Amino acid sequence: MSFRYLKFWIKTAFLFLSRSARSTAVLSLMVVSAVSVLIFLSALAVGVNDAMIQNSIGLYSGHILGDLLPHSLNTENLKIDGVAGVLKRSLIPGILSNGDSVETIAMVAVDPGAELKHAAIWKKTIMGRYIQNGENSIFLSSTLAKQLDVQTGSILQFNPAISKKLVKLMVSGIYKTEIDYLDQGIAFCPFEILPVKTTTWRAAIFLKKGIDPGQIIRRYRQLLPKSLEFKSWQEMMPALLQLIDLNYVSMGIVMVLVFGVVSIGIACAFVIFIFKNLREYGIMKAMGVTPREIAHLIVIEVIMMNLVASIVGILGGFLAVLITGHTGIDLTYFTSHNRYFVVSGVIFPRLTFYSLCLPPMLAFFFSLVSAIWPAWLIARKKAADILRSI
Amino acid sequence: MIQLEGISKEYRSGRGRVLALSDVTFTFEKNSKVAVFGKSGSGKTTLLYCIGGLERPESGIATCFGVDIHSLSEKALCLFQRKNLGFVFQHGNLFNYLTIFENIAFPLELNGFERKAVVKRVSELLENIGLANAGAALPYELSGGEVQRVSVARAIAHSPLVLLADEPTASLDSDTGRDLVQLMFNMGRDQGCTMIIATHDPDIINLADARLPIQDGKIETEDK
Repeated sequence: MSFRYLKFWIKTAFLFLSRSARSTAVLSLMVVSAVSVLIFLSALAVGVNDAMIQNSIGLYSGHILGDLLPHSLNTENLKIDGVAGVLKRSLIPGILSNGDSVETIAMVAVDPGAELKHAAIWKKTIMGRYIQNGENSIFLSSTLAKQLDVQTGSILQFNPAISKKLVKLMVSGIYKTEIDYLDQGIAFCPFEILPVKTTTWRAAIFLKKGIDPGQIIRRYRQLLPKSLEFKSWQEMMPALLQLIDLNYVSMGIVMVLVFGVVSIGIACAFVIFIFKNLREYGIMKAMGVTPREIAHLIVIEVIMMNLVASIVGILGGFLAVLITGHTGIDLTYFTSHNRYFVVSGVIFPRLTFYSLCLPPMLAFFFSLVSAIWPAWLIARKKAADILRSI
Repeated sequence: MIQLEGISKEYRSGRGRVLALSDVTFTFEKNSKVAVFGKSGSGKTTLLYCIGGLERPESGIATCFGVDIHSLSEKALCLFQRKNLGFVFQHGNLFNYLTIFENIAFPLELNGFERKAVVKRVSELLENIGLANAGAALPYELSGGEVQRVSVARAIAHSPLVLLADEPTASLDSDTGRDLVQLMFNMGRDQGCTMIIATHDPDIINLADARLPIQDGKIETEDK
C-alpha cells in the first residue's frame, strides 16, 4: 500500500469515526475506562510495593546494611552521593535482669538523635518515650518487658558478655513492631553509657528517594576496602522482594485478563459497529475496494479509536494517580497487623514508565486482535449480498 | 463492447433453488444506452451484478471490453471494477459519513488521482448536477432527487467504460426521475460510457438505444 493510499484510507477511517462520533465514543468508553483503571491499579500496586519497602527499611534496617565495619571507618566515609543518612550501631550480647527475671539479649547501642532522624522504630512506642543521648536508659519491646516484668521507669541491670561491668538502665520506653527479630531478644540504649566498646560496628544506610542500593554498594566497593561487607535490603529481606515480585506478576495477570475480556467486548461492539455500517462496506466493494483494503480500513479505524481512547485513558489514570498520589490512600485498617506496614498504612500510588505505558500498549495489542474478527467477517461477505440486504 | 454468452445464475434460498438468469446471451454495443426491463424478480439486478462482477454466474461468459471478468482473480476483478465500472443504485447509496464532495471524490481517490485533479473534477461535476454549493453537505441534508444526482456524478467521476444503474428513478417522482434520466444520459454520453440501466421507468425505456426485456431470468425479445 503506497503512502498516498494509506493517507486516503486514514482520512476515510477518520471521517467514518469522527462523523459517527456518538457510536465511536460509546465504543471507546470501554478502552478509556480499562486503560484508566489499569493505570491507576498498577500505580497503586507500585504504591503498595513502595509502602512495603519504605515500612520495612524505614523502621530499622535501612536500604543497605554494612556489617563488621572497623572503627577506623566512620559514618562520614559512607555518606556518598545518594545516601541520605548513615546510622552507627553496635551489637553487644549480654544478660538483662530485673531481680530474678533474667533474659539473654542483644543490646544495640545507638545514637538516639540520628536514629530519630532516619529510623522509625520510635514511632512504634506504646508506652513512655524513645531513649535520649547521654541518659542511662533502655528502649525495649513489649515482649521483653513482659518477660522481665518491667514498666517504664523500672530499673534494669545489663551485664555485657564481653565485660564484667554491670550497667543500670532505666526503661524509658516500650515498643511493639509485630516483627519477630525486633520484638524478641533485642533492646536499645545510647552508645556512651555502655562500659565496653566492640571491635567492629554495624551501619544502617538510608538512601535518597529513587536511588538503587546496588549502585551505592558498587560505589562502596570502588571506594572502600574489598573485605567490607554490604548487603542491600533485597538480600536482607528476600521474603519482601518475593512479595513485591509477586505483586507485579499478579498485576500483570490482572492486566492481561482485563484486556482479554475488554478485547472480546471491543470485538463484539466493533462487529455491531461494522454491521451498522454494512451498507458503506457493500458500496465500497461494489466500487472495487478489495477485501484487503476493507480489512485495512477496519484495522485503521480500530487503531485510531484506540489511540484516542488510550490518550484519554492515560489522562484519566494520570489524573486519578495525581490526586491520590498527593493525598495518599489510608489502608491502615487493613494493614495494622501486617509486618510490611508497621510504620504507616498509607499508600501513595506512583506512576512508573511501565505502569503508564503497559495498559495502553496492552489495549492497543488486544484491540488489534479484536479487529481481526470483524475485518474477516466483512472481507468475506459478497458485495451483492450486502447490497441486496440493505 | 460487453458480451454475455449463456449466462445462468441460480440462488438457494428458503424457497429452494431459484433460477435468476437462464442462458442469457446478449451484446451491449460500446457507448450505447441499454434499458433492461421486466417485472420485479425477473432477474434485472442479477444481470447487472453479473456484468459488474458482483455476482459470479454458474455458467456462461461475460466479456467486458475484451476481459472475461469472471475469470479474473478477486484482486484483479476489484481493480477492474474500480477503474472501469460505475454503479448507480436505487436509493443513491451514498456514504453517510462523507460529504457530497467526499462522496464524489471517493472513486477518484481510490483510482489514485492527484488531489488537484480530484478537486477540479469534483467541482465540475457538482456544477453539472446543479449542486455547486452543496459540496460540504452530508447526504441526509439532500432530497432524494439530489442524492440520486450525486450518485450519478460519483458513478461517472472516474470516467468508467460502463455505467450500471439499478432502478435509479424508482424512488423518485416522475418529473425528478425524468430530469435524472436526462442528466445521467447526458453525462454518460459526454464521458463515452456504455450505460446499462435496470428499470421499470417508461421514460428510460423510451430514451434507450436498445431494450432488453427480461422475464423469469430469460430474455424475451431483442428490440432495437
